[in-house]
Amino acid sequence: MKRYLLYRLALLLPTLFGVLTLVFLFIHLTPGDPVDIMLGETASPADRQELRQILGLNQPLPEQYRSFLINFLRGDLGQSLYEGRSVAAMVRARYPATLELALCAMSTALVISFPLAIWSAVRCGRWSDRATLIFSLLGLSIPNFWLGPLVMIIFSIQLGWLPVSGRGGPDHLILPALTLGLGMTALLIRILRANLLRVLGEDYVQTARAKGLSERSVWLKHTLRNALLSLVTIVSLQFGSLLAGSLITETIFSWPGIGRLTMQAIEMRDYPLVQGCVLAIALSYVFLNFITDLIYRWVDPRITYGN
Amino acid sequence: METRFWLYAGAALLLLFTSVALFAPLVSPYDPLQQNLEQDLITHSAQHLLGTDKLGRDMLSRIIFGARISLLVGASTVALSLLIGVGVGSLSGYAGGIADLLCMRLIDILMAFPGILLAIAFSAVLGPGLDHVIVALALIGWTGYARLVRGEILSLRERDFVSAARALGCRPQRIIVLHLLPNLLPPIAIQATFGLAAAIVAEGSLSFLGLGVAPPTPSWGSMLNEGRQFLLVAPHLTTYPGIALMLTVFALNLLGDALQDRLGIQTAKRR
Amino acid sequence: MPDLSKQAIFSQNFSENILRRSLYFVSFAVAFTFLIAACRPTHRDRSSGYLIAAIESYPLQLDPRYATDANGVRIGNLIYNSLLRADPQSRLRPELAESLRLINDRTYGIDLRRDVKFQNGQPLTAADVKFTYESILDPKNRSPKRGNLKPLGAIEQTGAYQLRFHLFAPHSPFIEQLTLGIVPAASPANPAVPTQAPPGSGPFMLEAAEPGEQITLKRNPHYWEQAPALAGVTFRIIPDALVRVLEFKKGNIDLMQNDIEPDMVPWLERNTGADVGTYLGTTFQYIGINLTHPILKNVKVRRALAYAIDRDRLVRHILKGMGTVAGGVLSPLNWAYEENLQHWPYDPERAKQLLDEAGFPDPDGDGPLPRFTLSFKTTNIDLRRRVAEAIKEQLQKVGIELDVRSYEWAAFYSDIKKGNFHLYSLAWVGVLDPDILFQIFHSSNFPPAGDNRGHYSNPELDRLLEQGRAITNQKERRQIYARAQKILAEDLPYVPLWWWKNVIVKKPTVQNFIPYPDGEMISLKQTRWANTQ
Repeated sequence: MKRYLLYRLALLLPTLFGVLTLVFLFIHLTPGDPVDIMLGETASPADRQELRQILGLNQPLPEQYRSFLINFLRGDLGQSLYEGRSVAAMVRARYPATLELALCAMSTALVISFPLAIWSAVRCGRWSDRATLIFSLLGLSIPNFWLGPLVMIIFSIQLGWLPVSGRGGPDHLILPALTLGLGMTALLIRILRANLLRVLGEDYVQTARAKGLSERSVWLKHTLRNALLSLVTIVSLQFGSLLAGSLITETIFSWPGIGRLTMQAIEMRDYPLVQGCVLAIALSYVFLNFITDLIYRWVDPRITYGN
Repeated sequence: METRFWLYAGAALLLLFTSVALFAPLVSPYDPLQQNLEQDLITHSAQHLLGTDKLGRDMLSRIIFGARISLLVGASTVALSLLIGVGVGSLSGYAGGIADLLCMRLIDILMAFPGILLAIAFSAVLGPGLDHVIVALALIGWTGYARLVRGEILSLRERDFVSAARALGCRPQRIIVLHLLPNLLPPIAIQATFGLAAAIVAEGSLSFLGLGVAPPTPSWGSMLNEGRQFLLVAPHLTTYPGIALMLTVFALNLLGDALQDRLGIQTAKRR
Repeated sequence: MPDLSKQAIFSQNFSENILRRSLYFVSFAVAFTFLIAACRPTHRDRSSGYLIAAIESYPLQLDPRYATDANGVRIGNLIYNSLLRADPQSRLRPELAESLRLINDRTYGIDLRRDVKFQNGQPLTAADVKFTYESILDPKNRSPKRGNLKPLGAIEQTGAYQLRFHLFAPHSPFIEQLTLGIVPAASPANPAVPTQAPPGSGPFMLEAAEPGEQITLKRNPHYWEQAPALAGVTFRIIPDALVRVLEFKKGNIDLMQNDIEPDMVPWLERNTGADVGTYLGTTFQYIGINLTHPILKNVKVRRALAYAIDRDRLVRHILKGMGTVAGGVLSPLNWAYEENLQHWPYDPERAKQLLDEAGFPDPDGDGPLPRFTLSFKTTNIDLRRRVAEAIKEQLQKVGIELDVRSYEWAAFYSDIKKGNFHLYSLAWVGVLDPDILFQIFHSSNFPPAGDNRGHYSNPELDRLLEQGRAITNQKERRQIYARAQKILAEDLPYVPLWWWKNVIVKKPTVQNFIPYPDGEMISLKQTRWANTQ
């Protein structure tokens, strides 16, 4: 296990490095000059040049890259070009909001999908099972940029039950979590249902044989582990996609998280901020995958992870 | 028995969507770009079954042509992704060594980003436009196919029939194309079906964010974007494109699911 | 598939285990999440008496020496006072300056009021005014307003409350620079965030700022004019226009100005009981033209464009009447406005004729082939895109093909400044002195030095604009600028579209909010709630 851990850590480093490089390159290739925006219409070329120098945009690309890497290692992600605050601080400030939304979306997904999956598995083959499958497939197919405004209109305006936007108490969480989590809900229903069916099927075979307790406990360990495994995989993979979905959902609901910050930063061509946000999201992804791998390995050492 | 029903249902919906897209000029009642400022924001009328948008353009026609755009973007994206993915995967799997290591690192790095984020970044760099969207989406979509192909090639590489072919002096390209790839058709087909659905949604997301196709091209995503401001006064502007998008993706998911069940293969579905 | 009844599941031991454990996990996850949600402090309780206004972007700077974004300037004008201030009729009136006189053609003498104090209790004296202007002029401070003060040679303090501005040469438009907010002497330069902005002397002071979310001002009880009736103002940043409307309907917002989808305005009137008012404005929307382009350099082509665009129809249907068809940069509210200008009514036949004359015949008559194609750049805002598409269709009818390209603001602005365009559409905000025409059309102002992005060069106009800024007699200036506007209306380096109307949506209980033509919110100092005196 320890060897595997070291092996995975070793693989992690080039990935991290590659992520950093890609993020750096991207932003500097986009058209649009932040200096123009900042100084406004009447600034002279000399002023512009000066600002460029101060922000470090003056230096050749490799130099900027070098400073970028060095600063990252120090935990310094630079200053936002527009607000002047530390990017790391801004990202840190907004991250909890996204985390909250993602966790809530995930729990909502779990709360809704579990009973439905069980119910569907029990009634396998009947119309209620089919209906659940259809609805879950529909749920997978609804784009969140359509669902968001739709639920906003229905629940916030027409019915007036829930607030429109922003972050506040638990009632502010419901609509965005629903929108963000619907895809995950649908997927969970399908996968849990499939797993449960498999489990129950094996159970059926087992009881038919009616062996002793020891064999049963072996099966218990095996199937529980499988169920746990698939749950863990799904949840962690999907958590990553929740982070992705937050880009649009947060924009629709004016949720003050990383997703919305990223979109705003891209629009403003605020290079350091975009870098910081994209890094935060990408690194979370990498971290999550890493943890998933470890859990996988720990739960079932027989699984060789190569593909 | 049941699976076949869904297979047919999905295929039928898809066929409808494809034929509407292909025969758009014949099927649509009006030119989707034709404006009529005086007739704006009609919800429903005899002349305009699904109403008109803010510039007086017929919604039904725009939705029909939107199918064309979605299909175009989706199919091109999948084709391009396949090309890149199969190419890189074959190289990686067959050649092994440094090439394999580098390719896998590259894939890991690309997959370290949520797809939509990369798509947004690519689009922001490349600018608006249909071809840019296709390139951006393809650049993030190829990794799944590459992994698939590589895995398969790795497992089949040492088999007898491959060694035999090598002994006979076949060039690697020939071996790959004639012997190895045909085994991959089922999982690739399934991946491609879901990939098409994902590409259509991704194009919609990009257009929704204002980064996708340029106006006045009637993409469903950009229609949703344009209609959003009128949600309170003219909800039909977002309802119909939204339903169209949902049904299309639904059909593709149905088809992909059914294929998966039939071919008995579990592949990674969600990105 | 075996048909298992519910009973079968629960009779099996380990499926029951799985179920139980899963339910534990689920309940734990849910409880955990709601715990987090509940633990956060719920803020945004409405402070009593505070007005909540919605704006679409967070002010980047409040310090008047650095604020260039619209919201930064407007909110800054509530915190700071200036020597002069524009009134709702766009006329400059004294604020901090008790009197202003011209000592000679290049020197202004100012006597300050003596009863003004900054929010920190310090009196506002000539030293503060001198400091403010000098700190802008200092290149080390990198103020974006430095370019505006180029004509200023030196500021001389001639008494505790007297000072003189010495210009290098006579320059009438300079007086507009006296609307700059005044900060206390020795205020640090370039505050990194709005909360670090120096204290002001205005009717409101900065109370709190949540970056990107809201900015709260509270009443300045020691204000030298009458203290505001409002206890404070909270500016909530809501970038999405739809959400702003929805929040207004829910009652969470009391006031919003502009940036509302024109079709939503009647809805707001019908569904929210809001007070909706539209007022003439000075913000000028135009089509900018690249005059170095081989086709566009021909004045007949430009005139054809003006004939081919049905501006009335655009204003009526797309803007829903929230604009006034424009004749030029200066609106009727401007003192130098000239109304006897060449007009270009909608006349597609005339347009086609002019294009034929210019040497661009239509290759296939009424068929799909265009005479030529031009690119048209615009920003990403829905309304602008819609207008662009409508214009595209109108031009199609006369055989011009427009390639509409919309960009995010950063990319758009960068292209425009570089001259990388054929046609584009943008607006000038805050037009006060007609000298803006010098900034836009004088041949010395080609980018990157100035804003003559189309590279317009007309020696006669150049001469007129140079004269206009040197003469101080307003009557004479008026005549000069009348001539200038006539030239511009005939030559069409810009195709004028319209002057936007200001739309103000507010709750009926909000009284005394007076609209300013350029969207200023200064009247918040007089605004009050109904039922209060």
